[in-house]
Amino acid sequence: MSASVPTWAGVAASAALVAVAAAVAWRQRLHLAREIAVAGLRAAAQLTAVGAVLLLVFRHGGIAAAAGWLALMVVIAGQVAAHRAKGMPRATAAATAAVAAGTAATLGVLLGLGVIAAQARVVIPVGGMIVAGAMQATALVLIRLREEARAAAPAIEARLALGLPASQAFAPHQRTTLRTALIPAVDSTKVVGLISLPGAMTGLILAGVNPLTAIRYQIIVMYMLLAAAALAALTAARLAERALFDHAHRLRPIEATPVPRAAAWRRS
Amino acid sequence: MKGLLPYRLPREPSTPRIRVAQVQCFPSLHGPGWRTLSGPWVSAHAVCNHGFVQGYVAGQASAAAGGRVAVGFTLEQVTVRRGAAVVLDAVTCQIPAGTCTAVVGRSGAGKSTLLRLLNRLAEPASGRILLDGRPLAELDVLALRRRVGLVAQTPVLLTDRVLDDLRVGCPDLREDQAAALLERAGLPAAMLHRATAGLSGGEAQRVCLARALAVGPAVLLADEPTSALDPHSAAAVEAALNDLTAAGTTVVLVSHNAAQARRLASEVLVLDHGRLAERGPAGLVNYLREART
Repeated sequence: MSASVPTWAGVAASAALVAVAAAVAWRQRLHLAREIAVAGLRAAAQLTAVGAVLLLVFRHGGIAAAAGWLALMVVIAGQVAAHRAKGMPRATAAATAAVAAGTAATLGVLLGLGVIAAQARVVIPVGGMIVAGAMQATALVLIRLREEARAAAPAIEARLALGLPASQAFAPHQRTTLRTALIPAVDSTKVVGLISLPGAMTGLILAGVNPLTAIRYQIIVMYMLLAAAALAALTAARLAERALFDHAHRLRPIEATPVPRAAAWRRS
Repeated sequence: MKGLLPYRLPREPSTPRIRVAQVQCFPSLHGPGWRTLSGPWVSAHAVCNHGFVQGYVAGQASAAAGGRVAVGFTLEQVTVRRGAAVVLDAVTCQIPAGTCTAVVGRSGAGKSTLLRLLNRLAEPASGRILLDGRPLAELDVLALRRRVGLVAQTPVLLTDRVLDDLRVGCPDLREDQAAALLERAGLPAAMLHRATAGLSGGEAQRVCLARALAVGPAVLLADEPTSALDPHSAAAVEAALNDLTAAGTTVVLVSHNAAQARRLASEVLVLDHGRLAERGPAGLVNYLREART
């Protein structure tokens, strides 16, 4: 195996590329040169810190530390997804639960069937990909459902007024939302290898692994991302339904979408 | 002369048993005696809808039977707030069963909110609402909404085909029943297989009316049902509402059109800035006499 991993000196040399980008920004007066330099430094610092922590976890933490790491990722992903659905009642709880459900079920199946090894160095990166996929689907579901509940309120109330329970009155909107939320996962599964060489596979090939071995991992990754997106989206939709309707099968009032910062600045 | 008619109703395990204690009606329309009615909501409304009694239903709860008599809606000190604003302010009134009551007033007076309280699409901050003597909050909300239908101001069609729309609240509706509903709403039966996308506003509003009637409500709430319609369509909707009232359905009509309220309603409630400003028979309410529109 001829792994050609860059040395630290190589990494330092590649900083010249950041300088190129910054120079372009400076010459074109984009007011971005400083931001590009800061972004470059941040990336190096963040990744070094993560690498060091991962090293510690892999050496000393074992599977329990991996579980803790994943839990932290789920919490962060829940916050990020909920932030997108601002205005929806109990969005953070719903988003966190949805990401957790999608991650736990998918990872559970992979571990239970023995597809992946129960080692920190496997569970953390694979879990990370699952959390990211679940987060994307959850955010899409929550954004869309909030908008549906606002824009389609007359249609939803027309169904409620006919005596339909909230779940039935909301079902058509939930269905279109779930479709929309799953399309990114389905489409990327369709075209994988044709128009994109995905990260896991690229990483393995760079590390010197035989391409036919590398694709085995990638196939599993695509399948698990499908499951994670589907389960997280379904959980998010169910929880959102509970948050959007009250016990008397009524739409709760939804707060208006907060004005984006730029728009607020322009007004004043 | 008033006839006194006791109705004995069947005891069914899953349905509430309601005894109609006293029915005042026109003696020429029926003979005295016992009649049996069945259905999920056997009430004086049903008696009226049955077609052989038409008139004013009054009475008191029959405590022994555990049921209540159809007396319509009773609002007691009902207050609704939206944020800091008071939408309805301590409204106390009665909406009698078997008649058409119009709720009139300027826009923003709280008319639509009052209507939405009656099928619990809205909830009062304080006070209570009773239907036939029972607080709405005690009734199963889904059963209540099947009993108290709503036609909204702006028609919203829910499916691609007229027949499917009529089946939203009543999936077992047969085609002949659906055709009859369309005709009651003033539309030709041939419209049943039309696409909803091509309907005019007036046609859509009448499909919404037929869809509400498909569930078989004893009460119909109509929120400015003709405000978006041309005069011809408006007349057709009015005729349909008139027929409903004549058949004994309780109709609660929100309208900003005084002439329409005079044409359709026997009772009128006037709201002004969330307060009940005036109430009484349509011919005597000052608001309608002043607003000669």
